[in-house]
Amino acid sequence: MSLYKNIDNWLDVRLGTHSLIEKELTGYLLPRNINAWYSLGSVLLFIFSLQIVTGILLLIYYVPDADKAFASVTMIMNRVPFGWLVRMCHVVGSNMMVLILLFHMLSVLFMGSYKSPRELNWLSGFILFNLVMAISLTGYLLPWSQLSYWATTVATNSVGAIPFIGSYLVEFLRGGKLVGPPTLGRFFALHVAVIPITIAAFVGIHLVLLQRIGVSTPPFGLKETKSNWRGDTFRYEEHPGGIPFFPNYLLQDMTSIMLYLALFFAVLFFDPYLFLPKDAFIPADPFLTPAHIKPEWYFLPNYQTLKLFPSEFLGLAVQGAAMTFLALLPFIDRGTEKHPLKRPLFMACSIGGILLWIGLAIWGHFS
Amino acid sequence: MENRDRRKFLGVCLGGIASASIAAVAYPLFRYLSPIPEQENSGKVTFQESDIPEGEAKFFQYAGSAAVLIKNKEQGVIALSAVCTHLGCIVQWQKERGEFLCPCHAGRYTAQGLVISGPPPKPLQPLHVSIANGTITIG
Repeated sequence: MSLYKNIDNWLDVRLGTHSLIEKELTGYLLPRNINAWYSLGSVLLFIFSLQIVTGILLLIYYVPDADKAFASVTMIMNRVPFGWLVRMCHVVGSNMMVLILLFHMLSVLFMGSYKSPRELNWLSGFILFNLVMAISLTGYLLPWSQLSYWATTVATNSVGAIPFIGSYLVEFLRGGKLVGPPTLGRFFALHVAVIPITIAAFVGIHLVLLQRIGVSTPPFGLKETKSNWRGDTFRYEEHPGGIPFFPNYLLQDMTSIMLYLALFFAVLFFDPYLFLPKDAFIPADPFLTPAHIKPEWYFLPNYQTLKLFPSEFLGLAVQGAAMTFLALLPFIDRGTEKHPLKRPLFMACSIGGILLWIGLAIWGHFS
Repeated sequence: MENRDRRKFLGVCLGGIASASIAAVAYPLFRYLSPIPEQENSGKVTFQESDIPEGEAKFFQYAGSAAVLIKNKEQGVIALSAVCTHLGCIVQWQKERGEFLCPCHAGRYTAQGLVISGPPPKPLQPLHVSIANGTITIG
């Protein structure tokens, strides 16, 4: 015990750890009515770390060469001890990351946390959302299966609908006329280096913004649910009389991470191939498009939208408009009311939007 | 007092679960990172006697390591481990001298693998060779 005290004291004299812990952990107060939805950010951080660890482990045996990629993935699955576990953790984890990210965004939407003064936080989060979609798309190609090959063909092809530069852009993305070994090279570099670093940087920005502005008060269980922020000077949102981050809210974070792990392992051990259709186990063949090729579930609404519009450009433009609207939401929705039940227009639009998204996904899945 | 026992019991349970979780992660991780055993083909390597010229050395893989085969008029066929006993470099065959030279620290060995000069502490490890019907079998 005295050794521990000595080390603690030694560090405190040099780094001021006691005041740092007081400021950032035990004395860092959160709103009294904070709820479990606020812990999804920590869950996402945990998933992202897990993806990095399993991704680095996969790099040990994966070969980013069009002739060898599929065989190397097969080796990881069949010959490397616990290779199946590491790979399925990475595959299932990527799908779960998108799912939890959607829930995180929905909670922010419904509790009005995106509103002023947190526009920058919403924007950085929106960029993170797009980066996660991009890392999923680039990672999808790497096993070089029929599924990854044709999903990438379709996904990169949709860029071709952009007027004038479209066809050149497709070729630029693919590194050639068709998806081929050059595509694998650039997608590999994006997937393992460029996008992860960018995501880590934006996670940092996202957290610094959260720390700087302060946690937003959830609208539930309060008489006054309007934000009283005036917009004339910077003000850190304090929560006097709130609950400390450590140990109280950290316990909630840990609980949510454990619940997530239960769900994650349930998929991993009882239905590991939930997200892998049959075509994921056939090596890529550039001369044979399999029947019913479909993207991952989170791209299904986009896929269906592209099919619905008579011109591909129109389909792409509608999606671009929807995404731009979502990105600029805090600048469009300028009301100070945060309670969802007191925002009927917002509720109607968001629930309509969610139903449309789910409907398009189901339609895309069965079409 | 009863409260402290309860606290201690819960602490032990938590510690136990945490240790079990760490073990459940550490063991697969260790196995994943361990070298994969080679798919060995009975551990024997064969050559046709006619394929190896007189006085030349043939380098090949044997049991996951490097080995060398030489054919001489005087000694017949000899197989040796090609790993220098000093620091593990692969020795070179010097045909005109009839010697092995390790390029790392200039260790010299005879064609039989015995140390002539330089830092190697031991001779090159000999490998078992048998010849039948013009086929050389090592191992």
